[in-house]
Amino acid sequence: MGGTRPRYGGTLRVNMQAALLSVDPADTNSTDPVALDEISCLLFDTLVTLDGRGALVPGLASSWRSDSGYQRWSFSLRSNVRLSDGTVLTPQIVAASLRSVNPDWRVAPSDDGVTIEVSSPARRLPMQLALTRNSIVQRDNGRLLGTGAFAVSLWQPGKQLILKEREDYWRGRPFLDEIDVALSRNMRDQMMSLDLGKVDLIELAPGQSQRTTEKRTIVSSRPNQLICLVFQNNTPNEDERKLREALALSTDRRALANVILQGDATPAGSILPNWQSGYAFLFAPAYELRSARELRDEVHFVTPWTLGYDVTDPSARLLAERIALNAQDAGLRLQTSMSSTTDIRLERILISSPDGYIALLDVARQLGLIMPKVPGNSTENLYQAEKELLESRRMIPILHVPANHALAPSVHGWTSQWDGRAGLVDAWLGTGRP
Amino acid sequence: MARDRPAVTLRRKLLLAFSAIAFLCVLAVTWIVLSTTRRAFERLNEQQTEALIAQFQREFKRRGDEVLNKVTNVTRNDSTARMAAAASSPSRDYAQFLSDAKDVADNQQLDCLEFADADGTIISSAQFPAMFGYKDNSVPVAGPDSNPAFLRREALPDRTALSLSAVRRVETGNNVLYVIGGRLIDNNFIASLEVPAGVRAMLYQNLSPEFSRGLLIDSSGQLARGEALESAVRRVQVDRREITERIHWSSDAADDEDMHAIPLNGQKGDLLAVLLIGNSRRPYVEFSQRIRLAAMIVAGSGILLAILFSSWVAARVTQPVEQLAVAAREVAEGNLNTQVEVKSADEIGELAETFNRMTREILEKRELLVQTERVAAWRDVARRLAHELKNPLFPLQLTVENLVRAREQSPDDFEEVFRESSATLLSEIANLKAIVSRFSEFSRMPKPQYQNVDINNLVENVMRLFQAQLSANSIECHLDLMQNAQTIAADPDMLHRAISNLVLNAIDAITAGGRLAVSTRQDRERTLIRISDSGAGLTAQECSQLFTPYYTTKKHGTGLGLAIVQSVISDHGGKVTVQSEPGQGATFIIDMPNGFQKLPLGNTSSFSH
Repeated sequence: MGGTRPRYGGTLRVNMQAALLSVDPADTNSTDPVALDEISCLLFDTLVTLDGRGALVPGLASSWRSDSGYQRWSFSLRSNVRLSDGTVLTPQIVAASLRSVNPDWRVAPSDDGVTIEVSSPARRLPMQLALTRNSIVQRDNGRLLGTGAFAVSLWQPGKQLILKEREDYWRGRPFLDEIDVALSRNMRDQMMSLDLGKVDLIELAPGQSQRTTEKRTIVSSRPNQLICLVFQNNTPNEDERKLREALALSTDRRALANVILQGDATPAGSILPNWQSGYAFLFAPAYELRSARELRDEVHFVTPWTLGYDVTDPSARLLAERIALNAQDAGLRLQTSMSSTTDIRLERILISSPDGYIALLDVARQLGLIMPKVPGNSTENLYQAEKELLESRRMIPILHVPANHALAPSVHGWTSQWDGRAGLVDAWLGTGRP
Repeated sequence: MARDRPAVTLRRKLLLAFSAIAFLCVLAVTWIVLSTTRRAFERLNEQQTEALIAQFQREFKRRGDEVLNKVTNVTRNDSTARMAAAASSPSRDYAQFLSDAKDVADNQQLDCLEFADADGTIISSAQFPAMFGYKDNSVPVAGPDSNPAFLRREALPDRTALSLSAVRRVETGNNVLYVIGGRLIDNNFIASLEVPAGVRAMLYQNLSPEFSRGLLIDSSGQLARGEALESAVRRVQVDRREITERIHWSSDAADDEDMHAIPLNGQKGDLLAVLLIGNSRRPYVEFSQRIRLAAMIVAGSGILLAILFSSWVAARVTQPVEQLAVAAREVAEGNLNTQVEVKSADEIGELAETFNRMTREILEKRELLVQTERVAAWRDVARRLAHELKNPLFPLQLTVENLVRAREQSPDDFEEVFRESSATLLSEIANLKAIVSRFSEFSRMPKPQYQNVDINNLVENVMRLFQAQLSANSIECHLDLMQNAQTIAADPDMLHRAISNLVLNAIDAITAGGRLAVSTRQDRERTLIRISDSGAGLTAQECSQLFTPYYTTKKHGTGLGLAIVQSVISDHGGKVTVQSEPGQGATFIIDMPNGFQKLPLGNTSSFSH
């Protein structure tokens, strides 16, 4: 048995269901934003980071300040930070990285860091920089270099990723020697491997988080993911809007949450979960089949829709099929499809920030929506912005789901992140395994 | 001149007959073989189809029994018992059973498995897990004992499919749970059927009111070009009975298939599928093609043999006949010495012998006739000559007897008598010389010396010579000469003499105040000269003998005038005829060829007498 003192060495074996094809934190094509987020934070750092309570703490930037109008921000870089190839992190690299992700910003290197100028006051800019997508990455002909605690040792897209510890990590060498991530592993196999002691960290299928045993540690986050329907057509006409409303009313979210996701989800009528915004109950989802049928009957011609989903996610398939069944009950013509180009897609979106505004902004960005202008910082302003987003009928919130993981008892030192997920940078293995 | 040979000779007829017989024989044999082959193939197809249907039914039953056993096993499963217990609960928790059907189905190797309560509400579904809580209106009838498996329409998330399903009812206390399990009827099911070569099985899943090509499957999956089967499927959909139809997949007949379409019904008698069994016609078509090719070769060989055989037969049969035909033509052309060789003793030989005997007899009779005619001619000549010579001889005799008597009885007058008698003797001797001269002239007719002759001019010259004589006899002369007549090839002197004789003959026949008409006519090849008189005319007997030498109707004629005319015209290649009736005058018609080919080369000048 390992004691409570951290020890160096060992390989943390991780299973993931996602078939990640890229570890670039700015990748917009990933179907599993949670998996990408978890891998990215091991490889890359942000200028500003969040502690377990969601408060800003220095990251690669040792300090920052803004002008009085919050439009010009200066960040001082920490010294002696090196990329995974050994080169020193320079303000130029940081500026280029931020510019590539935020083309609206004017980012310029300075003597000791970078300055960022934005067109409108941005009080929450440091919080925005804490998003994983704003990680500092040097992109060199498809090669990604970061300042994270680990560097890529082996990368087989969709199959396997092996991360090796970095002795020169600016926060000091991590305890683990390696993290071996097996990708595209279904939930059943993951659980079997954990039970057999062949893996240290797995994702949990819906319902499994409630079946605890002594052999595993369950780590459940807050509902930090939004499952929603996203329409490809940006400009719905009046009939189309009615049909979308009918689809929202016909979806039995409770059955989806309680049966298909085995209670590991919350029916969602809003984008932000209630624990974050505090007003989500105002968008309480309704299952009103009669109203849905009435709306559908107001439309003379019902456009047939196809509904796409992440084919690597069995739960997504079941959810899509159930939504299609519900829609057909309301007289809508919805058919699931494995095609990559469909009229509607069932998306899983990560609530990426504890700050409601930043989270809403990032959701809008991920869904390709235009974020409404928010006149102030109040909850009312945030509510109004979210309401406008919902009324655009570009997306229908379905469920809020947490990220559930199971860890082997040998895994120690993991930290709880602001949303409840386990941070692995400081983890160590307490067993006698090498 | 030789006659043309007949268009279709006996040899050709024999050749055609033998070829036709050979061809018809081959045709008949080919037809018989093809008919027999077709019937044999049809019987084979029927047997294969029946065997495949029987095999399909056996496989269907075997699979059905398998499914039945598996479903029965499922009813004994723990999760089934739990579901049965929960089935009656109004607040049943579907979540705990969500994946149970799938797990059990995987365990039992079933494609489809549904658990439904007494109302048909689905508690858990393997093939469509999201269907929980929905009612399945097609929950089949399930008895307490073992009902056989049946075809069932299965709703899947992305499509509707067919399954071979069985249903069992589980009763726990007052709770009823239906377990419906099955295997999908797909291309794997069809692939499991062992079909003989040239036969294939397909299945149309009758899952749509309209025919859809995508619902046709065979052992490899979805059938390409399935639209060709639409007609057969539709007929089964309408008639609900087995039908057979020939399917043309392409313009190549070898691609055709005889398609047997068999309806497959569900538990409630609804048509759920059409089993299609296709028998390829390629073996039959290729075999037929080989037979036809062999028949063509045999027919060709037969025709070749027929040619050789007919040639041989011709050598035996037609050659003597042809020789007879040639000999007959020669006889017809006047060669009576023709004989054919007698080679056989059969009918042909007898025919040849008869032909030879016939020609010999004709020859003998002709020679006899010639001799008879020659004697008759000599007699006629002698008679004529005696007649002609007797007239002058009698005065000569009287004159000489008168001279002798005058010398003896009247010597004084002898001188006077001698002078008168001498004159008489000279006159009669001159008469005898004239007679001899005419005979001599007739015997020495020269050959024509052809020149270009203007026939109108020649006729006018003749008429001009006789103008005085015509006027003296008050004969009205009428000339009708063809305008722009072409010159002809003729001997002008001989033709002049012939026409003169005819005109003179006409003048002799006309009494005073009569009428003489002469006309000429011509076409591209022949020239006609008509000389008509208004005399007493001739009887038919006279007409037939008119041109015979020494025949005459005149008191003092020699009978040589018209014979000379006929000789002249005949020497020119023409003919002279007479048309007459007693009291109606007579018309002599000279018909002669224009005869340009007889002119010496370069002689194109015309001649006028």
